[in-house]
Amino acid sequence: MKTKRYRLLTLLTASFLFLGASASWGAVSFQCPGYDPGVDGDHNGDGMLRADDGEISNPLGSNQVCMHLTGGDGFVTMADGKETYIFGFSNVTGLPDDQVLSEGILAAAFPAPPILLRQGDEFYLSLTNVGMMMRPDLFDPHTVHWHGFPNASSVFDGVPDASISIKMGSTLTYYYNVVEPGTFMYHCHVEAAEHMQMGMLGNLYVEPDQNLLADGTSLNGFIHQTGFKYAYNDGDGSTYFDSDYPLQIGSFDGAFHDASISVQPLPFANMNDNYAMLNGRGYPDTIENNPLPAPVENGGKVSQFEDSLIEGTAGDKILLRISNLNVTRFYTLASPSIPMTVVGKDTKLLRSTDPDGAGPLLGENLYYNTNSVNLGGGEAVDVILDTTGIAPGTYFLYTTNLNYLSNDKEDFGGMMTEIHIN
Amino acid sequence: MNRINRKQGILIPLVIMLLMLFAAQAQAIIDGVTGTTFHFTAKEGHISTPDGNSILMWGYANGNNVMQYPGPTLIVDQNDVITITLTNELPLGNAVSILFPGQDVAASGGSQGLLTRESNSPADTVTYTFTASHPGTYVYHSGTQPDLQIEMGLVGAIVVRPAGYTDLNRTAYGSSSTAYDYEYLFLLTDMDPIIHELVEFGQQDEVDNAKRAPVIWMINGRAAPDTLAPAYTPLLPHQPYNCLPRMNPGGKLLMRIVSAGRDLHPFHHHGNNSTVIAKDGRLLSTNGVDPDLATSEFTIQAIPEETVDAIFEWTGEKLGWDMYGTGVGYEHDCVDGNGDDFDDVTHEYCPDHGKPLPVVLPEKQDLGFGGWWGGSPYMGSAEALPPGEGGLNINGGYFFMWHSHTEKELTNFDIFPGGMMTMMVVEPPHIIIP
Repeated sequence: MKTKRYRLLTLLTASFLFLGASASWGAVSFQCPGYDPGVDGDHNGDGMLRADDGEISNPLGSNQVCMHLTGGDGFVTMADGKETYIFGFSNVTGLPDDQVLSEGILAAAFPAPPILLRQGDEFYLSLTNVGMMMRPDLFDPHTVHWHGFPNASSVFDGVPDASISIKMGSTLTYYYNVVEPGTFMYHCHVEAAEHMQMGMLGNLYVEPDQNLLADGTSLNGFIHQTGFKYAYNDGDGSTYFDSDYPLQIGSFDGAFHDASISVQPLPFANMNDNYAMLNGRGYPDTIENNPLPAPVENGGKVSQFEDSLIEGTAGDKILLRISNLNVTRFYTLASPSIPMTVVGKDTKLLRSTDPDGAGPLLGENLYYNTNSVNLGGGEAVDVILDTTGIAPGTYFLYTTNLNYLSNDKEDFGGMMTEIHIN
Repeated sequence: MNRINRKQGILIPLVIMLLMLFAAQAQAIIDGVTGTTFHFTAKEGHISTPDGNSILMWGYANGNNVMQYPGPTLIVDQNDVITITLTNELPLGNAVSILFPGQDVAASGGSQGLLTRESNSPADTVTYTFTASHPGTYVYHSGTQPDLQIEMGLVGAIVVRPAGYTDLNRTAYGSSSTAYDYEYLFLLTDMDPIIHELVEFGQQDEVDNAKRAPVIWMINGRAAPDTLAPAYTPLLPHQPYNCLPRMNPGGKLLMRIVSAGRDLHPFHHHGNNSTVIAKDGRLLSTNGVDPDLATSEFTIQAIPEETVDAIFEWTGEKLGWDMYGTGVGYEHDCVDGNGDDFDDVTHEYCPDHGKPLPVVLPEKQDLGFGGWWGGSPYMGSAEALPPGEGGLNINGGYFFMWHSHTEKELTNFDIFPGGMMTMMVVEPPHIIIP
């Protein structure tokens, strides 16, 4: 069986390479103005090319950022050991075009590679469709939908019904002028119920301009220092944090994924998720501070890079960038021991407006303290954990939908992670 | 290399012709019944779902019209005394009534039920009276065996216009900070056809709410793609309301979301955040006039029986490229007379004027095309597409999907796509939306 699959892989790779060689047909084509593949590359290994970091020779501006994703399929390992077929994105930023197909095939990562940007960035995101190696019967195109992008255009919104999507063997480059900070998310929007259940979901967030203020700048009395970071341009330092963690809520229906790999009708009506996860893993894998070993079926390609272990020192303010991209239900996430302060929702600071409309900074902070947040799919909240006075030890962040503290039939798992306070 | 195909001359008369057809259906004001006195009849009827099914419903008919789902949207004026009479033509043995959450109701006639007065037969009329004291968006539904009867379709929406509202001075709550140009209803429901089959086959006693598993999800009583069909289409005689939001750049679109099902739905509107100004017909406000406690959201939690009013705006601001195109064939001006960075007429964001699209789009053979894709990234423009592609975007607008982000709900009884989904279109400035 395994040999057969690899033979198929070789064949498909060869056919892609053949197609790629034909000029009139689709081809991998990474677009990043001023990028010189001879000398440029992801030198600092952050998964992105940033002009500021000297990774683009002749950028159009210092705020130019480029990234290259592939869309395809692969495997991940659930926390109970089950190997699960997925669709997903993989990061091939900096790879020469002629290596993208071979590297991108069967390399789907879950969650998708994180996209970390800064307010003011000009972001060029290339998406190459490498095809579904394990499903040669499928010819699905893919897209990137930047979920929550303000004043979006339809061409770069990634909704296949209202836009364009990229077919196998070719590359579509999206352009985003990044003007709003906050916690967004991204996913493929093609046959959304299927491609999203199958795992084409990832973290995406944007850091605010306020991080780059001159040392000593007063924010309404709060003195900014170089290196200080904030969730939003709050104007008063109230969203300052010491460390931040993107946490994406997700869940899989194992039967759906099994139906997909075995080319069976997909159970949409009966879709019931039985693997509840944070950043693509169930507990205790959530606290494994390394990439998980590559599933055997992937031919050695690692597919689960993100952990969810939260670490800090008592007194730290820890920002949780929580988003939810599951496709079946609402989830509540609770931190019973360390209080949560919700400072933002859907990329906006929680703050009242001045009724005169004179400006957002004149409003009142509408932050609220709680021990739990409830999110449906497509929602995002920014939560600050204030660990002042918290005794060193291990604390838990978990879903209070307690039946989802499981990895299918295995108890004591699922949507939970640990907070280690030193 | 990108092939830019020149706009086709034949498109313009075609667009005008289609537009005239379109204009007759387009409503920027919510469809419904107006006045102060209404008569409803609760009756049976069958609705159509896009999976090909025909589902038995119980619904409120306007007067002696056919059953409709949802019930007639009542559009009334603040401070008016509203009277609704109800007679019962449901199968014998089923009483029926109406509850009006958020209203102070006096009921008379019929007989006293558990929650309100009920009508028991066609000869038995109940009268409900209330003063529409607060503007806003409300729900009404059966107060008799509501676990079954709301599922069966006895539900509807109420819009209370604020005092001083006129068609030329549209506000949600009276103050200019709640002004809008267009308004649309999003009455969200979920449905389990098994329950309806049991009722139809005379096995009403067999209905087990614990086993309820919705597989049909709807906006305004229709599942996608029927949400996009014209309102009052004869093809859907029992589902008069559509959901086809349209706007121009720079406009304000009021979303009146009525969550009338049993489940929570995360309602995600592509294109931009919206400003949630009110819930349950009450302004989010400290001064009672302006929505200063409004939140900006891109996914609105629709909670059972809650209503949400949100104002959506879209301009294409700061896209970083000229959304009306650059170069030969795309000549246009951006005139910012009042210094707000936007063209005074088209609302184009002038600092981006003349900036070319920063990327080269792939060749057509490398792309999949959506039906609502007009072939061009530029607003108001169209480009040739391969045969059979596109065709639903006659004005070169920007279409955005507005849908439940529980993507499982984008299906019609196991068939994707469909469900709780519609498309909102930002039409080019010269397209007039009434």
